[in-house]
Amino acid sequence: MTATARHAALVAAACAALGAAVALQLARDRWYPRSDIQAAEILYVRSPAAMQRLALDHDSLLADVYWIRAVQYYGGNRLAPQLRKHHYELLYPMLDITTSLDPHFNIAYRFGAIFLSEEYPGGPGRSDQAIALLRKGLAARPDKWQYYLDAGFVNYFHLHDYRAAADWFSRGARLPNAPNWMPPLAAATLAKGNDRASSRFLWRQLLDSDQAWLRNAATRALQQLDALDQMDRLEEIVRRYPPPMGQPHSWIGLIRRGVLAGLPVDPTRTPYDIDPETGRVALSPSSSLNPMPFDTARQAR
Amino acid sequence: MHAIRSVAVNVFKESVRDRVPYNLVLFAVLLISSSYLLGQLTAGQDVKIVKDLGLSATAVFGLFIAVFIGIGLVSKEVERRSIYPLLAKPVSRPQFIAGKYAGLVLTLAVNVAVMTIALYVVLGYMSWMEPAAVRASWDAPGPDPRLLKAIALIFLELMLVTAIALFFSTFSGPLLSAALTLGLYIVGQFNADLKNFDRVVNSKTAIWLARGAYHVLPDLSAFDVKTQVVHGLPVSSGYMLATTGYAAVYIAALLLGAVAIFSRRDFK
Amino acid sequence: MPPVIRIDELTKDYKVGFWRSRPYRALDRLSLEIAEGEVFGFLGPNGAGKTTTLKLLMQLIFPTRGGAEILGRPLGDVQARQRIGFLPENPSFYDYLTAEELLNYFGQLFGYAPAERGRRVAALLDRVGIGAERRLQLRKFSKGMIQRVGIAQALLNDPEVIFLDEPMSGLDPLGRRDVRNLILELRDQGRTVFFSSHILADAEALCSRVAVVANGRLAAAGRLSEILAFQVRGWDLVMDTIRPDVLERVRPVVRRATEISAGRYSLEVPLEQPPDRLLAELVAEGATLVSLTPIRDTLEDFFVRRVAEAGAGARAEEAARARD
Ligand SMILES: Nc1ncnc2c1ncn2[C@@H]1O[C@H](COP(=O)(O)OP(=O)(O)O)[C@@H](O)[C@H]1O
Ligand SMILES: [Mg+2]
Repeated sequence: MTATARHAALVAAACAALGAAVALQLARDRWYPRSDIQAAEILYVRSPAAMQRLALDHDSLLADVYWIRAVQYYGGNRLAPQLRKHHYELLYPMLDITTSLDPHFNIAYRFGAIFLSEEYPGGPGRSDQAIALLRKGLAARPDKWQYYLDAGFVNYFHLHDYRAAADWFSRGARLPNAPNWMPPLAAATLAKGNDRASSRFLWRQLLDSDQAWLRNAATRALQQLDALDQMDRLEEIVRRYPPPMGQPHSWIGLIRRGVLAGLPVDPTRTPYDIDPETGRVALSPSSSLNPMPFDTARQAR
Repeated sequence: MHAIRSVAVNVFKESVRDRVPYNLVLFAVLLISSSYLLGQLTAGQDVKIVKDLGLSATAVFGLFIAVFIGIGLVSKEVERRSIYPLLAKPVSRPQFIAGKYAGLVLTLAVNVAVMTIALYVVLGYMSWMEPAAVRASWDAPGPDPRLLKAIALIFLELMLVTAIALFFSTFSGPLLSAALTLGLYIVGQFNADLKNFDRVVNSKTAIWLARGAYHVLPDLSAFDVKTQVVHGLPVSSGYMLATTGYAAVYIAALLLGAVAIFSRRDFK
Repeated sequence: MPPVIRIDELTKDYKVGFWRSRPYRALDRLSLEIAEGEVFGFLGPNGAGKTTTLKLLMQLIFPTRGGAEILGRPLGDVQARQRIGFLPENPSFYDYLTAEELLNYFGQLFGYAPAERGRRVAALLDRVGIGAERRLQLRKFSKGMIQRVGIAQALLNDPEVIFLDEPMSGLDPLGRRDVRNLILELRDQGRTVFFSSHILADAEALCSRVAVVANGRLAAAGRLSEILAFQVRGWDLVMDTIRPDVLERVRPVVRRATEISAGRYSLEVPLEQPPDRLLAELVAEGATLVSLTPIRDTLEDFFVRRVAEAGAGARAEEAARARD
C-alpha cells in the first residue's frame, strides 16, 4: 500500500470511529434518558443553576460545602447569646443551593425541614419553606416516604393543620416501601385531630429514629406530653380537694392533709407551680421542658 | 508489540521520574484524610462527604496528569529532538503513538488505583469506627463496592481526555495543546446543555449547530455518576456498557486521527 | 555488488515564511551510490543540506521528490532499521534516564532479551569511553559525553550501515581521535559508514570517497585525491627563537612572516619551495620547530569556486533550454 493510500485509509477509519461514537451516544440517550430533573435544573436562571455551572461536574462536592455552611449557620445562630438577635434568613437559600447541586441529598431535605420549621428563637419558624423544601425533595426522589412523614410532622406540630398532616401521612403510606405503621398513623391523625394519644404515637416512631438528634427531640416531646397528662391529673385532684375557706391553694396544704405524698414534680424532676388563687397547675418557669407545645385541650380551659 | 511496550514503559518511567504524580497522589491522600476532619463538622454526613471528596479528587488529579503529561507526550519529544534517534530504530510512527498512549494510561491506572485504595481505607476506617445504628442511617455502606462503578467511569473519562491531549500534541506545541484540551474538556462537561438548546433559543440553525456539536464533541458529562453512586442509587450495567463503548470508539477515532497526522509530519 | 545506499534525485523543499509560505529548496536532485564497506564522507559548509539529506534517509522528513534505498529496501521500511545505525546532529536524549537506561530502552526496541541487552550496553559504553558515569542521569552529561552516548546508541544493533551526522562536533581533540579510530575499526569490520562533516581534515583522515554538497546541490564526488582542488597550496612553518637578523635573511623566500610572540613566527612557505631546506637552515641558526602544516583550500574556498562554476553551468543549461 502506498503512503497516500494508507493515509486515506487512516483518515477514513478515524471518521468511521467518530461516526460509531455518535451512533452509540444516540443509542445510549434513547435507552438511558438522563433524568428530566437534571435537565430542568440546567435551564433554571437562578443562583443554584449558576452555581451548578461553576461546579463543572463536582456539584456533589459543592453541595457538601453548602450543607456544611448551612449546618454551621443554623447552629451558630441557634446558640447565639441571647443579646444578639437570632436571624435565619440565609438558611433557606443555602439549603436550596445544596439540594439543587445535589438533588439526592437526603439529609439536607430532612434536617433542613426540621431546622426551618422550628419556632423562633430556636429556628426561623418557616414551616412554609420546610414544606417547599420537602416538595423539592419529593420531585427528585418520589419514593422517599420519609419526606411525606416529615411534611406531615410540620403540618401537625407547627401549623396545627391536622387534615393536611393526615393527608401527607396517607400519601406516604401508599408508597410500596412505606413502613406498616404509616397507615394507622394517618387514620389516627384524621380521626382524632389534635390529641395526645396520636401525638404520642407520632413521637414514638421517632424514638427509634436513626438520628440521635431526632431521638432526643422525641424523648423531650414525650416528656412534655407526660407533663400535660400529669398537670391534668393534678388539677383534677386540686378540684376534688379544695382548701379550707379563705386559704390559698398550695402543695403544702395538700401534703399536710395526706392527699399528696410529696411535692409533685415533672419528668425532669422540677416541681410544678400552683396558682394560689385559681388552683391552676403550670410548669415551673425553671423547668427545661419549656416552652410547652400548643395543646388544644388545655387551652380550652 | 515489544516496541509499543517499551515506549509505554518509558513514558511511565518519565512520569515517575518527573515526580509530578507523587505530588498529586500525596495531595489526593492528604485531601481524603482532611475530608475526615471536615466530616466531623457536619451532621452525620461524613461518609457521604468523604466519598464526594474522594471521587472528585480522583477525577481532578487524574485530569491534571492526563492533560499535563498528555500534551507533552509527543510535542516534547519533537521539541527536544529525542525522537530522531528513536524513529531510526525499528519503531513505526503508529507504534510510537500507541506506546505513548498506553504509557500514559498505565500511569493514570496506577494513580487512580492508589487514590481508590486510599479512599477505601479511609471509608473502611470510618465505617468501622461508627456504631451500627449510625451506619444504618447511611444511604449506602461506607466502603461501598458500587463506588468502583464511578471510579471506572472516571478512569474511562481520563482515558478519553488523554487521547484528546495526545491528538492535539501530534500537531501543536504544549501550550496550544493544553488550551485546546482543557477547552474541549470544559465544553465536554456542558455538552448535555447543547442537547436541550431548543428550550432556550428559537433559531433553527442554532439548534442544529448545537445538536451537531453535542454529537461530535466528546460528551464527558456521561461519565459522571458520582452523585448516583454516593447515594447508593443504581447505575445499570447497560449504561456502563454503552458508556464504555462510547469511550472506546471515541478514543479509537482520536488515536487514528493522531496517527494519520503524525505519520505525515516532518520533524524540523 | 549492488550499492548499500542508493540516493536517487532526492529533493526537499521546506516551507518558509509564516503567512505566505513559499518553498525553499534545501536539497536539489541529489544522486549518490555508496558501496559496501566504504567510509563515505558527506562534506559541505554549514547550510549545505547535509542534515536535510540524513533526515530524509531516516524518514524524519519526507522528500518532495525522488527517493532512496538502503540495503536494497525503500525508505520507510521499519524492518530495515534493524540493520541501520544513526547518530543525529547534536543529539539530544531523555535527560531523566541514565546512559545505561537509555541504551537499554533502545535495546528493547531492537527486541533484544535482557541478558543480551546488558552485554551489548556494557560493551558499547566501554567502547565509547563512558565509565562510571553511565549510572548518572543524562542531564548531568557534558556535550562531549552526550556525543559519545549518541555514538554508542548508533552502534547498539551492530549495524551494517551507520549514518553519522557531524560525529566530531562537540568533541575535544582526544574525543575526535577516539571517534576517528572507532570509524576505522568499523571499516575494518566491513561496515559501511556514511558521515557528514564540514571539516575537511576529518574526511582526509578517514574517507575512501567523498561527496561535496553546496547550496543543496552535489558539487563533486569521488576520491579526495581526485578532487584536485584540495591539493596543498603551501606550508605553514611555525618556529621559535628566531633571531631578527636570521628573519631578515629568510624573508625573501617566504610569502609572509607573522610574529606570534617575541621570537616566534609563522612563516608561509610557497609550494615551489620545499620547507625542509628552510627548516634545516633555521635550526642551524638556533631556532626550534613548533609545527609544520600544509596549507590548502578550505572547504569554503572550494565551494566558493565550485558554486560559481555550478551556477555558471546552471545558467548555461537554462540558456540552452531557452534556445530550444
Ligand atoms: N526546517 C527547516 N525549514 C526551513 N529551512 C530549513 C529547515 N531546516 C533546514 N533548512 C535550510 O535548509 C538548508 C540546509 O540545511 P541543513 O541540511 O541543516 O544544512 P547542513 O546540515 O548541511 O548544515 C539551510 O539553508 C537551512 O537554513
Ligand atoms: Mg547539519
